Amino acid sequence: MTDMAIQATGLVKQYGGKTALDQLTLSVPRGEIFGLLGHNGAGKTTTVNILTTLLPPSSGTASVAGRDIRTQPAQVRRVIGYLPENVQFYDNLTLNENLMFFAQLSGVQHPAARIRTVLDIVDFPGHEREHMGTFSKGMRQRAGIAQAILHEPAVLFLDEPTSGLDPQGVATLRNIIIRLNRELGVTVFMNTHLLGEVTRTCTSIGILGAGRLIYQDSISATLDSFPGQDSLEEIYLSIAAGTPS
Amino acid sequence: MSVWAGTIRQETVAARRERLPQFLLVVFLAMVAASAFIGSAAKGTVTAVYQEAVREGLTSAPNPFTTISPLYYARNTVIYIILIAALLAIVIGAQSTLRDRRARTIDLVLSRDVPPAKYLAAKLAGTGLLLLFILAVAALVNLACIAVATGSFPTPAQGARILALFGVAWLFLIPFVTLGMLNGIRCATATSGLLVPIVVWSIVIFILPLLGTAAHPVSLLNPVSKAAPAESGFFELTSAVTGPLSLGEQFKRTTALILEDPQSGGTAEGGLLVLLGFFFAACLALLVAGPSHMRRELHG
Repeated sequence: MTDMAIQATGLVKQYGGKTALDQLTLSVPRGEIFGLLGHNGAGKTTTVNILTTLLPPSSGTASVAGRDIRTQPAQVRRVIGYLPENVQFYDNLTLNENLMFFAQLSGVQHPAARIRTVLDIVDFPGHEREHMGTFSKGMRQRAGIAQAILHEPAVLFLDEPTSGLDPQGVATLRNIIIRLNRELGVTVFMNTHLLGEVTRTCTSIGILGAGRLIYQDSISATLDSFPGQDSLEEIYLSIAAGTPS
Repeated sequence: MSVWAGTIRQETVAARRERLPQFLLVVFLAMVAASAFIGSAAKGTVTAVYQEAVREGLTSAPNPFTTISPLYYARNTVIYIILIAALLAIVIGAQSTLRDRRARTIDLVLSRDVPPAKYLAAKLAGTGLLLLFILAVAALVNLACIAVATGSFPTPAQGARILALFGVAWLFLIPFVTLGMLNGIRCATATSGLLVPIVVWSIVIFILPLLGTAAHPVSLLNPVSKAAPAESGFFELTSAVTGPLSLGEQFKRTTALILEDPQSGGTAEGGLLVLLGFFFAACLALLVAGPSHMRRELHG
């Protein structure tokens, strides 16, 4: 069993004539909270879509929790949880009905008990019988995390999880992600634009530029490596500009 | 097994709470209930005219409506199945797949170990069961209204024939459910997701029979269609092509035999085979063509 939760080698994705990912190679050790950074259109969401098996790569290989995304997509899906950007649910169903549906799709053995457990984990009890059409963005994100961990995944993929949340919502979601990682040992792979949140939440980062990984290291090593820069934002901008100090 | 159970449960609960299916269901059940009383009113009117004719010495023939079967009162229901229940089936089917696209939940579904064809099959099973329940309720409403209109319950044999009518209706309606589901997956908007199947429905129910029989459009709204005068000329050729594809006419012909309509002829097997053919072809089309379109927006 490899120590890498995610390992990608030479991933290429082309849409028509446009190259979204260009020989992307990265590895994320187990137990990390990995933040993938990059400008709009850098290929972050495409990377997540490929690693979650929603999208096949044009070429290259990748494995998640030791399962190959090309040859073992079903096994990959069993060990991952996924929260897309702007997660939506069936608005005319209650939270409990939505979670029950996804629990049954995931083959959870005792769905009712598991739903209670995950709602405790994301600190979201008492809303089970409310229709999801009435939920705020922050409530949807918490429900989104709950659906993603119903089947106790080893790796959790989060696409812009804090996008559009108010500061309190961001802080709540950050605490949930850290708790999932530290207490339950879930490896987290997240795309985000909020660099302040990356510093507080992630243990390591990667920066995508034009479909390639142009930087990867731990947060502490990154901050130590750029002594002239005061914040991750400055470091990110200098790396993304192709002028690391 | 839990994929089937979860999806069927989700389908039935979600569809039950949507307004357009609710509205069409109320209209359908109301018309099924009314059809028995419309038949009763028609019988009353004809009998009054007959009695007037007897009083004036214009006829000595027996009243043809005296010994009419309770199945007579179910005949108008066939038209409401073709007109309203078929639209209800299209709406239930289209909203089943449009719901996933509107809610963007297909990402969440397909990031799990659920083969798309299995998921679509489970959705079809859910909508099929919902439709079966609706038709069972409609059958009970029809039986109850016939009992009220005639003052006596249909015999067990007649009751079985009415239940058979609704069973065949289920076979007839499932292709419309799959048509709705397929268009819900393929069409960019909810409007086109509903409009395209409704256009196909109007072609199958109205235009193909017209091309094959030269029937007057209004006559297609009769529960029993007359045999097509297609012994020679243009309509001989077109009826051979369009006849089997005229799903509504095949349904009417089959149910007329089930309801022992004296104007009907032949056997029900031919019509049933056509309905079964459409049923299996539609299910197959959904399971073969549907999965490749479920995530097409990702593939650029």
